[in-house]
Amino acid sequence: MSARDNILARVRRGLGLPGDIAGFERPAVQEYIRKNPRGPRPTYHWSDHVARFQERSEKLGTSVDRVASLPEVPEAVARYLKEKALPQKGVVWHGLHALEWERAGLMLAARGAHADDLVGVTGAFCAIAETGTLMLLSGADSPAAVSLLPETHIAILDVQRIVSGMEEALALMKSEREALPRAVNFVSGPSRTADIEQTIVIGAHGPYRVHVVLYGSVYVQ
Amino acid sequence: MRVGLFVTCLVDMMRPRIGFAALKLLENAGCEVVVPPNQTCCGQPGFNSGDRESGRVMARRFLADFESFDYVVAPSGSCTGMIRCHYGELFPDDTVLQHRLDALSQRTFELTDFLVTVLKVERLDSFFQGTITYHDSCSGLRELNVKHQPRQLMGQVVGAQLREMNKPELCCGFGGTFSIKLGEIATRMADNKCQDALATKADAIVGGDLGCLLNIEGRLRRLGDDTTQVLHVAEVLAGPELGQG
Amino acid sequence: MQLTSFYFKSNVRRKLIDPLLQRNMKRFGGRFVEARAAVMTEVDNLETIRVAAAAIRDRSLANLDSYLVAFEEQALARGSQVHWAETAQDVNRILIEIAQSNGVKKIVKSKSMVSEESGLNDAVEAVGIQAIETDLGEYILQLAHEPPSHIIAPAIHKSLEEVAALFSENHHTPRQTDIPALCREAREQLRPHFLSAEMGISGGNFLIAETGSVVIVTNEGNGRMVTTLPRIHVTITGIEKVLPTLNDFSTIVRLLTRSATGQSITNYVSMLTGPRQEGDLDGPGQSHIILVDSGRSRLLGTEMQEALRCIRCGACMNHCPVYQNIGGHAYGWVYPGPIGAVLTPSYVGLKNALDLPQASTLCGACQVVCPVKIPLPELMRVLREKSFEQGLRPWHERLFIRLWRGVANRPRLYALMTQVGVRVLSLLGGKKKLLHHLPGLDGWTDGRDMPAPQGKTFRELYRKRRS
Repeated sequence: MSARDNILARVRRGLGLPGDIAGFERPAVQEYIRKNPRGPRPTYHWSDHVARFQERSEKLGTSVDRVASLPEVPEAVARYLKEKALPQKGVVWHGLHALEWERAGLMLAARGAHADDLVGVTGAFCAIAETGTLMLLSGADSPAAVSLLPETHIAILDVQRIVSGMEEALALMKSEREALPRAVNFVSGPSRTADIEQTIVIGAHGPYRVHVVLYGSVYVQ
Repeated sequence: MRVGLFVTCLVDMMRPRIGFAALKLLENAGCEVVVPPNQTCCGQPGFNSGDRESGRVMARRFLADFESFDYVVAPSGSCTGMIRCHYGELFPDDTVLQHRLDALSQRTFELTDFLVTVLKVERLDSFFQGTITYHDSCSGLRELNVKHQPRQLMGQVVGAQLREMNKPELCCGFGGTFSIKLGEIATRMADNKCQDALATKADAIVGGDLGCLLNIEGRLRRLGDDTTQVLHVAEVLAGPELGQG
Repeated sequence: MQLTSFYFKSNVRRKLIDPLLQRNMKRFGGRFVEARAAVMTEVDNLETIRVAAAAIRDRSLANLDSYLVAFEEQALARGSQVHWAETAQDVNRILIEIAQSNGVKKIVKSKSMVSEESGLNDAVEAVGIQAIETDLGEYILQLAHEPPSHIIAPAIHKSLEEVAALFSENHHTPRQTDIPALCREAREQLRPHFLSAEMGISGGNFLIAETGSVVIVTNEGNGRMVTTLPRIHVTITGIEKVLPTLNDFSTIVRLLTRSATGQSITNYVSMLTGPRQEGDLDGPGQSHIILVDSGRSRLLGTEMQEALRCIRCGACMNHCPVYQNIGGHAYGWVYPGPIGAVLTPSYVGLKNALDLPQASTLCGACQVVCPVKIPLPELMRVLREKSFEQGLRPWHERLFIRLWRGVANRPRLYALMTQVGVRVLSLLGGKKKLLHHLPGLDGWTDGRDMPAPQGKTFRELYRKRRS
């Protein structure tokens, strides 16, 4: 008997289940996963996802900027970096490399993050209004460390891709992707710790700053 | 309305005047109060120490003493909590007994809860000279939702001024046999409670469970405080001209 | 981790007179309570969600074998390697095998309480592999050679000054005077380790049967580092941590982070599924998941099963008046507070942690805040019953309880004994009506007086009044 068999046998014995039924064949379990019900959640009092996202983001310490369209993003990013006296160079996701960064005075390399990158520019698969959260999927064009290693993380987000809750974000992912990426990272503000004297300090191992540039407009019927 | 008064063992032994205060409050509110002479203890000390049999023995006794009444009232959230929340799980194999106990449990009330919820008392005609800070005893608070009832009643006492302490819901450290088995922690918890209570500069620390009150008073006196009164809420509500027997 | 739960009482005695600990617990212990209360106002249907969260956990546990196999199937399909550890020793053995077969010299760890159960750090160091804790709290404790005293704020018992001294001594740097500077110093010390370690170890807040994912819920970013940068990632977590679906996780995380740190959501929630995929520019090349039993399966089907619902938020200890006064170390093992008082005896044996289930007034504060509605006082009572039945409690305690039961069930005897008893005690109480010492009740009278009885029992006085 392997450790696996021993553990499963103990579990089944404890639960008073027959020992010979292969677990995943139990119909109730398959059925539940297939149905995939959503649970209750707090009442959503807001109607405007963008306003809610912005409010919650700012509460988390994320700054939010908004421009009319994608081509205006590089200028907005450059403006932010200048205001904060941050370096005008860094690393960017491949998918965003085509934007005219250089014209805005920025030197962004499309590659995986290096330890000494100070600015990381990413997109986001979508965002969650309830909590002011960005949802980032890892992939060939969207390396996970770009939102992690640099001290400043800038995320570019289409306002139409702000959904209400985590359930909607996950559903959107399932509808658009065949499978989960290696890493789904929900990012809610700059990294922090309260491990010394329960005092919140912004900037632990991850970014000190998270800045979101929203672009586009929400289609209104 | 025939009400059986369960005085509880602690009140019986340590502070009979709380029992008389409860008696007076119930009678003044128009109840016909009977004190069954054979009552003793609810069984909680043993039950909480791991002796389920204590609970069973005393649940049977309680049933024999009190089943005939319309209501049962006890000046303790802790004993009432034992009856209401735990008697129901003692006889899983005897559905008849279980059913009788459940029915009786539902008619059993903590004193202030009974006065407010069932009797809807709105006038007490008593007075208390001084400021009061109220400690919410755990069982009453969390098992029976006793929170506004004692405050509402004390609001009817002429002269009594309530001054809330910091963290009135924090346990005082009594915990029945805990207070002896882990006396050092209990003492520290009582100490914290005393500090919070004393910070209000109230004349009296009041609560609804004698166990907590003995713990708090015991610590206060050991700390050298001989002046702050420690009273059961029934004593405050019944007023000063209480028969002492 | 070395077990000292057997010495709970002497641990307590030491902790109660440790001025630094007492000061730190008083100053910092309440912050989680305030933060939780504030953030819970966002949840207008808290009770509904708690009921749903408890039901999700119960569903997972009631079909645990099935969900584990489902998880394994999905995880394997995504290229993770799944290992099963029956005991804590097995965890260390499996981990060391993975490390040695891959030439690992350095491991970076984010917080894993299960690895504390098995004393993993000592075990890997014994075979010459360096293991570095990277959660700030855990890092501080690694430098101090201390175990954690809280499951989510492991160094809650340490002050700024103590941390500053530790850092200065270990890093050979000037002593810092403020918390942000200490955090930066830790970041600078640990960053090179993240980049150079061959293996990252994390715990797993949850395992998702639907997708074969490991979910970690973190704030500092170290969890993301150890699961992204080293070429091997190993998750170590208990078998009870499986959830059926991502939707179930979405329900539960709303309560987890609010109950734990008082945050609506933590900075990072990472769902990790398998190793690096083709074309990925980062992520570990190997993903291993060690599923640990180590006593958990023993609880299934018993009265203690509900304890396995635990999602490790720490709210029970934050709100426990006993924990608040003695801190986490006194409990003598990995899990302190009410959940520790329940889990420790269950995992390490009741007789090795006999006083833990007694370490509660049963005040119920823990049960009220538990996001998955674990009836902690009831479970402690169950363990007390086991102790009593197995004769593990001191003889005088058992004798007293049996005597009281016998007397209280004989009203005449009870009347006689109480009448005599209260008269004696009343006399002993003297003018001040206080007993300063009571033989056999030193536990009480060492720190408190016992207010003396009035002198006659209520029943006597009532009878007299009636006649």
